[in-house]
Amino acid sequence: MKLARLIEYLISKRSVLAVLLLVSMAALVLVDIILPPAYTRFTWDAIGGFAAFFGFAACAALIFFSRFLGEKLLYRDEDYYDDHE
Amino acid sequence: MTITELMPFSVLVPLIASLVCALLPGRFWPWAVTLVAVIVSAVIAAFTLPAAAQVTLSYAFGNWPPPIGIEYRVDAANAFVALLVAGMAAVALPWAKKSVDKEVPERQGAFYALFLLALSGLLGITLSGDAFNIFVFLEISSLATYGLIAHGSDRRALLASFRYLIMGTVGATFLLIGIGFLYIMTGTLNLADLAERLPEVRDTSTVRAALAFIIVGMGLKLAMLPLHLWLPNAYTYAPSFVTVFLAGTATKVALYVMLRFVFTVFAPDWSFVVLPLSTVLMILGVAGMFAGSWVAMFQPNIKRMLAYSSVAQVGYMVLGVSLVSVIGLSAAFLHLFNHALMKTALFMAVGTVIYQVGSARLKDVRGLGRTMPWTLTAFALAGLSIIGVPLTAGFVSKWYLIQAALDQGQWFLVVLILVTSLMAVIYIWRVIEAAWFQERSIKQPDVGEAPLALLIPTWILVALNFYFGIDTRLTVGGATAAAEALLGGGMTP
Amino acid sequence: MITSDWLHPSLVLIAGTLVLPLLKGRAMQAWMVLLPLAVLGTLWMAQPGEHGQMAFLGMELVTGRVDELAMVFGWVFGTVLLIGAIYALHVNDRVQHVAAFLYGASALGVVFAGDLITLYVFWELMVITSVWLIWRRKTEVSFNAGFRYLVIHAVGGVVLLAGIILFQFETGTTRFEQIDVDGPAFWLILAAFMINAAVPPLHAWLTDAYPEATVTGAVFLSALTTKTAVYTLIRGYPGTEMLVWMGAAMTLYGVTFAMLSNDIRRLLAYHIVSQVGYMVTGVGLGTALALSGSASHAFTHILYKALLFMGAGAVIHMTGRSRLSELGGLYRYMPWTFVLYLIGGVSISAFPLFSGYVSKTMIVEAAAIDQRAVIWLMLVVASAGTFLSTTLKLPYKTWLGGDSGLQPREAPWNMLLAMGIAAALCFLIGIFPGMLYALLPGAVDFNAYTMSVFLKEMQVLLFTGLAFCLLLKYVGGGPKISLDVDWLYRRGGPRLVGAVGSAIITTDRAIRRTTLEHLARLTAHVEKKHGRDGKLAKSWPIGSMALWTAIVLAMLLTVGVYRG
Repeated sequence: MKLARLIEYLISKRSVLAVLLLVSMAALVLVDIILPPAYTRFTWDAIGGFAAFFGFAACAALIFFSRFLGEKLLYRDEDYYDDHE
Repeated sequence: MTITELMPFSVLVPLIASLVCALLPGRFWPWAVTLVAVIVSAVIAAFTLPAAAQVTLSYAFGNWPPPIGIEYRVDAANAFVALLVAGMAAVALPWAKKSVDKEVPERQGAFYALFLLALSGLLGITLSGDAFNIFVFLEISSLATYGLIAHGSDRRALLASFRYLIMGTVGATFLLIGIGFLYIMTGTLNLADLAERLPEVRDTSTVRAALAFIIVGMGLKLAMLPLHLWLPNAYTYAPSFVTVFLAGTATKVALYVMLRFVFTVFAPDWSFVVLPLSTVLMILGVAGMFAGSWVAMFQPNIKRMLAYSSVAQVGYMVLGVSLVSVIGLSAAFLHLFNHALMKTALFMAVGTVIYQVGSARLKDVRGLGRTMPWTLTAFALAGLSIIGVPLTAGFVSKWYLIQAALDQGQWFLVVLILVTSLMAVIYIWRVIEAAWFQERSIKQPDVGEAPLALLIPTWILVALNFYFGIDTRLTVGGATAAAEALLGGGMTP
Repeated sequence: MITSDWLHPSLVLIAGTLVLPLLKGRAMQAWMVLLPLAVLGTLWMAQPGEHGQMAFLGMELVTGRVDELAMVFGWVFGTVLLIGAIYALHVNDRVQHVAAFLYGASALGVVFAGDLITLYVFWELMVITSVWLIWRRKTEVSFNAGFRYLVIHAVGGVVLLAGIILFQFETGTTRFEQIDVDGPAFWLILAAFMINAAVPPLHAWLTDAYPEATVTGAVFLSALTTKTAVYTLIRGYPGTEMLVWMGAAMTLYGVTFAMLSNDIRRLLAYHIVSQVGYMVTGVGLGTALALSGSASHAFTHILYKALLFMGAGAVIHMTGRSRLSELGGLYRYMPWTFVLYLIGGVSISAFPLFSGYVSKTMIVEAAAIDQRAVIWLMLVVASAGTFLSTTLKLPYKTWLGGDSGLQPREAPWNMLLAMGIAAALCFLIGIFPGMLYALLPGAVDFNAYTMSVFLKEMQVLLFTGLAFCLLLKYVGGGPKISLDVDWLYRRGGPRLVGAVGSAIITTDRAIRRTTLEHLARLTAHVEKKHGRDGKLAKSWPIGSMALWTAIVLAMLLTVGVYRG
């Protein structure tokens, strides 16, 4: 199980990986701010790092919205349909 | 001999053979004689259709010229129905041997004699061009049919036969009353002659009453809702072979007689005006489609379920007639033919189940999909045809029916036809579900696949359902010719 | 269907499938691999043009229309059949194999159908064959789900047939080109296509049934039905404005409900809805770029979604469990499945170098060129949501996360091989998108690998990841099921029908009883008057039969006699 050990190794180094990832994310945003926008089709095309912000916000919104939807409206016990069928 | 001279023999051969049959002992010879007679009759009918499609054939019995003598007058419409009747009998007979041996073990000579009488009666009705002669043949076939139904092994068959007798007699009497009125007014019984003389006297209540009597009389024989009540019991308790034969032929011939009178004897531009026939037939047709399918969805007995389905299918035909157009009538004739194919296949499959299991109740079919796969697959495939799935015969007739409805801008009819097709899905599905998705209970005996003698004819009919779903030249051509013959006044000399 | 220059791939597949039940063991396995290869070979030889014309009911059927659009779908269907067959090699259930191949043949039949009648026939065949992939799981739950699936598609089939009949009546043709009529025909056919494309609220059949299918059957299901519908939409309804909005709404609907799913394959099924939403949006936009985007996204989607379903299926096959709340820590035991699944995950999330990136960005770009700001934002939110649940939440909770104590073995070699092929294709298409673009109808004027597209995509994805890590404890889930539209016919409908039905039955009974009472009184009256022995009179049915006869006759006579 070499592959398993490799994954194990990666997991053990997860703090290093996280730092690397964060650095590259910062670099992405920086490049996006520095480079002149390729398009001006939408107003936000001109804002550097908009996609990063929007992605974060969208993810957070989805997490909270779906949870709200589930708990207030849609969640049922797993045997909900059983007694009926 | 020309085809015109040969034509009457398709009626006479079974009639004569029935006398022979009645005297024959044992189990083999009556069946064999019947088979030969039926095949001869079917072959003659097969040769008649192409000839009649080109020119109306006329044969005068005993060289008495019509209108005094009895005339056989055959155009595309009756040749089409005659071929259907004789053909169905020929296809059903090979299947009959095993099933009849089991269900009618004794006095088979008499049984087959009755069958031949019924057949020759039906063919006589179809080919005859004489109103009184039609009545006589109707009585012959009806009486023989009552006898056949009474052969059912269930005691209730007697009662069913008795009820059918009462209602059938009422129907025949109504026809006779109608014919009598016409004779009083015109002094002739020959259909072509009647068509010629009627216009002068048709603005009388007598002629209108005659039309009403004939429609109700034939509506009864045709099992048009609400005159269908005799049919479910008769079909359910009759011997399987009788049901197979009747389902494909008897109601079809009654429809033909009704059409012959409404369209040829009374011209459609009169008969559909003087009585609100179009509306009445449309309402009754649609009601039949719905009520038949609805009741079929809840029947615990498959034979009975199919009987109610027949009421629904008759509704489709009546609906096609009510549209009073070539395409509508073609659709009715098409469905007449195709329904015979599918119902015969279905009843054969059910009859095969009865042969093996002894019952056609839904709960006795449970789990049979595994032990009798060929029989039940045949049922399922024929079921596709009755639902109207493309590539089956059922699709072709529904397609034409829908086209006919659209042609007159009757959108709602299209919806109704599609909805009733979905109802057919449900009642066919109940059988499939029982056969494949339910377990056989331990108390029920294990059975194997049915003998080939039953399976092969059943599968031939299933194959025909698909053949006529793809190659529509014969059916569509024949049905269109028949419709044109009726609407085009093919009977007028 | 056969001429010297045309062999219908469906015919090849159907004929080959008929042999399958006769084979056993290795021979059957070899045949299962050879058949899809034969289909691919047939496709290779197919000449552009129209083939296999037949006359039917006075219409001309074209069973084989070969053009680029049809071929795009033909190629990917053939490929996924091969992958699915390898994945299913270990299964010893011939019914499933036969059903899967016939299902594939029907899907190919739809794609190559040049007229609506042929299309309809294969459309229905697709339903009848595919349902066995659900039923063969052989549980009561899967039977019921399969039955609901069947009913919905039966209704959809009737809707389609009604639309086709009206279309033929109005235009006099059944050729399948852009559906260019007004009125009910347009809407009926569109509705039928949308049912198969699983456009909410007509989508619940998919998320209800696919998770209950067999492990191997779900791979075929995920690939074929919805994508044939996408094909028919591209062909029949390009530029239908309504589809832009329905598609974008679909993407969000899918990701939201996927967040609520606990069953791994239900989660993935919701992402079919979401991904097909992109394609539907592309169809609605209707520009050349958008349509190319939809076709190529269908192509890539089939491969990566099959890969994801194979990964999830492998977990179910090895552990017997399918709920996220019961899984976890599997990376030690099923590392290959994990890695291959992740390749599917980054493909569906549209990471650069993987297949989803080169097709999805095309649709998003088409929306941008069309200046549709709201649509663009909706699609980007859906991108974030896709990454969030398929590539972060599901693998995290299945392979990493808390240890579930399960110690399954790695999936069998054939499963891994099938997944490997799919993963390789995902990767290849990501690196050489030109290969995919070359198949599309018309030249593709789009390059996914520009700085601006790359930057936007990476920022969205990575910051979605950041949000996931930070908000992990708020991510919903747990041993629950969530309601969806299928509630209407699973609980709501039956309740309503039950109420209406009992009302009808009561009324019906009452009517019958009163009628019978009246009849009884009538007969009793007759009996008394005429002094019969009563036997005949007592038989109600004859009485009522005669009554009806009298009523109908009286009606007709009244009209007839009083008319003059």
